[in-house]
Amino acid sequence: MTQLTFSFDVNRCSGCLACIVACQDQNDFVSETVAFRQVTSYEERFLTKSRISFLSLSCLHCGDAPCVMVCPTGAIFKNSEGVVDLNRELCIGCHTCELTCSFGAPKFAEDGRMIKCDFCHDRVEYGLKPACVRVCPTKALGFGPLKDISKEKTKEASTKILKSLLATEPSKQP
Amino acid sequence: MNQLLNKSQIPRGKVPTPESGIEIKKTVCDICNPNSHCGIDAYVKDGVVIKVEGSEENPHSGGTLCSKGAASRQYIYHQDRLLKPMVRTGDRGSDEFEPISWDDALDMIGEKFNTIKSESGPEAVGYFVGYPKWMRPYVKRLAHSFGSPNYMTESSTCFSATLMAAKLNYGCFGPPDVANTNCLLVWSANPFYSNTSTVRRLLDAIENGLKIIEVGPFTTPLSRHADIHLRLRPGTSGALALGIANVMIEQNLYAREFVDKWTTGFDAYAAYAKEFTPEKTEAITGVPAEDIIAAARMYATTKPAAMMTSASPTVHHTNASQNHRAIVALVGLTGNFDEKGGNHVCPPGYNEINNGIKMREGEFTQSRPWADMAPRVGLDAHPVWCKQIPQANAMHLPFQINSQQPYPIRALMGFGLNFNMWPGSDYMADALTKLDFLVDVDLFMTPTAKMADLVLPACTSFERSEFKLYTERFGMYTEPVIQPLGESRPDTDIIFDLAKRLAPEDPLLKTDYETCIDWMLEPQGLKVADIRKHDGGCTLEGVNPPPYRKYEKNGFPTPSGKMEFASSQLADEGYDALPVYTEPKYSPISTPELAESFPLILNTGSRLPMYVHSRTFRLPWTRALRPDPLVDINPEDAEARGLSDGDPITLSTPKGSISFKAHLTELAPPGVVSVYHGLPGAEINNIIEPDYRDPISGFPGFKSLLCQIKKESR
Repeated sequence: MTQLTFSFDVNRCSGCLACIVACQDQNDFVSETVAFRQVTSYEERFLTKSRISFLSLSCLHCGDAPCVMVCPTGAIFKNSEGVVDLNRELCIGCHTCELTCSFGAPKFAEDGRMIKCDFCHDRVEYGLKPACVRVCPTKALGFGPLKDISKEKTKEASTKILKSLLATEPSKQP
Repeated sequence: MNQLLNKSQIPRGKVPTPESGIEIKKTVCDICNPNSHCGIDAYVKDGVVIKVEGSEENPHSGGTLCSKGAASRQYIYHQDRLLKPMVRTGDRGSDEFEPISWDDALDMIGEKFNTIKSESGPEAVGYFVGYPKWMRPYVKRLAHSFGSPNYMTESSTCFSATLMAAKLNYGCFGPPDVANTNCLLVWSANPFYSNTSTVRRLLDAIENGLKIIEVGPFTTPLSRHADIHLRLRPGTSGALALGIANVMIEQNLYAREFVDKWTTGFDAYAAYAKEFTPEKTEAITGVPAEDIIAAARMYATTKPAAMMTSASPTVHHTNASQNHRAIVALVGLTGNFDEKGGNHVCPPGYNEINNGIKMREGEFTQSRPWADMAPRVGLDAHPVWCKQIPQANAMHLPFQINSQQPYPIRALMGFGLNFNMWPGSDYMADALTKLDFLVDVDLFMTPTAKMADLVLPACTSFERSEFKLYTERFGMYTEPVIQPLGESRPDTDIIFDLAKRLAPEDPLLKTDYETCIDWMLEPQGLKVADIRKHDGGCTLEGVNPPPYRKYEKNGFPTPSGKMEFASSQLADEGYDALPVYTEPKYSPISTPELAESFPLILNTGSRLPMYVHSRTFRLPWTRALRPDPLVDINPEDAEARGLSDGDPITLSTPKGSISFKAHLTELAPPGVVSVYHGLPGAEINNIIEPDYRDPISGFPGFKSLLCQIKKESR
């Protein structure tokens, strides 16, 4: 089984929140406060300077997903791409998944049943990107099979290290 | 949300296949400014847009969108959309209207405007364009063909003062050549929230070692990438720029050859800058002296270096024109003007996009020379601005409506007119009530539209065609992706139909939008029909980037033919020729007594990612991202006032008070608070004095005011 996953680059995210709205547009959310992604900011102060960083978080589609294990009706399952998916017909709205999820991924619709990020798997099967990845203006969000993303990260980091080792200019000031 | 489809009619996953019946149609988003206008793939099912995403083949936006563009469906199908022409039946602002046919509405405008023209002269009718800006060239031509010099735009508060300042120094200016530079000096710009469409490339350059110097009081998403961040006191950028220049000159880091050969007034400028020692500059700006020196050295010694300014933060101050002149003087001082990797000058193209294309937009729009019309609104008050910018000054409009000097303004034809744009918005709103006849063309029934005698419904970019250029020498002529909602129409159709009644002798306005663009495109040898063939746009054949250092051949388009450190055009009008630093009209230094009651510096109107002016407040998706009217305040200032995050507060200026909620954040430096403009129910411009403005440009001092904040009892 492959395991699809999102990637996220904290050095590129600008907190523009487009991923949230793209998710709402893709999923026709009527309630403006529900989206499968949330963006959280974190501020630090260093004497007279400060820095702001952001994290865009959705369901992580865990390898060993606790929500799948605790769902009493088997409504939540892992599909062949490793996506944590949902058969809403079986959901009884017991919120057990919400209790066990460490990331706040399960949301609940007006009918009381759970809704969650399905990795836009209809789009992905068709060769399209998930809506949140597709919209991202800074390319902070990405997606793919977990093993490819790991490889890509190693390559990127190695290139960076190589460049710094070969740098002919003085490195950046602190 | 979609008026025509309910959720069960939308295929699962919205995958565009023959079976789902979903087609992808190409257009552009025009919610924000023409420098972005991302390419859109509209997912259309049964004539209804059911999803949007960016067009990957668009080289500018590269398939991305911001939160505003991503919310396009709520914009197109909003319940407040105007669907019929409406004529007012009740009092101004009463919201009592009744439908009227398009023909009757246009005939009414023709009759009213032509009567006023015969009674008071054509100049008594003003024309105004707010957002969007795509119809600007046609409104300007209509105004002048009608005989009125009074074509005004929202540029009277945006960009045109930065352009004016740069033109006084150089006669022309250019954007930073980010792709080829090694050091980017970003002066009070936050491209992450104002031009989201290209930040991915800036981040790529940063990852490849681009040095960043950020100047601005607030921390932004860029700050984490900045090698140096100079957090100056708002309104003091002129002093900081002079302080930086002084370091360069003292340490002999400036471009001596360029300065000797191509500039005038350097000796006087250098002598004046000498007063701005790092210590004195620190005292004025609050920026540590060693940071000033480090920034000056980095910008002067890294070659090439480019400067990124924004449309307005540096010029929203009462001392703005000279501040901005001092800032952009650094480009010439370091020899980065019109250099590869510096600031590269591109001649004017079309509708704010300059990509090397040769179009005769200026010739098209100026259908009657200024000399053959009455003096423009604002020519007496802001002559320097009026000489550099081919428009009337909208900031002066309410003053002229009230004074009726040098002549009365009796009617206004507004496209996207919003009185909340003016400082002292109540003063502008009151002036509008004094007009004999007010027309507003808009998408929504806005507070300004409610004051109009006639309200005409425009349609969105999804419902019409548009000729659109991008800086990447890319062009597009869009086709409507859906039918216009109700009876709404493209702005240009309204303009060309009005021209039949207001300027029937104009040979080009007798034709249509496409014919006029073909006329403007003639020097380039391109035709709309060729561009139109390419769904989603095409690279423009034969359009080439202009060469660097064009001044070596042509000189500078200034009176002296050189870059002017000392501006003869300012001196001619009685202003300082040098970029002399003065304090903002209200500041802890210029008005210490006022600052005792109003000790915090107030910044208004800095961009947030989900809003652009008032355009997306009404969309539930974007509004939910920041629903409350907030004041960004540093935790230190909050603690001194006993404030916790979310506390109700009263923000007071010398003109009045408004209720907000406190938003504790390190983004705001201690002593400075920030408020977004135009928020419904908390319109900050209402408590700014209408004459709190820069005398040279007429620009409002939106970004250096004084205020006080107090906790409200719950």
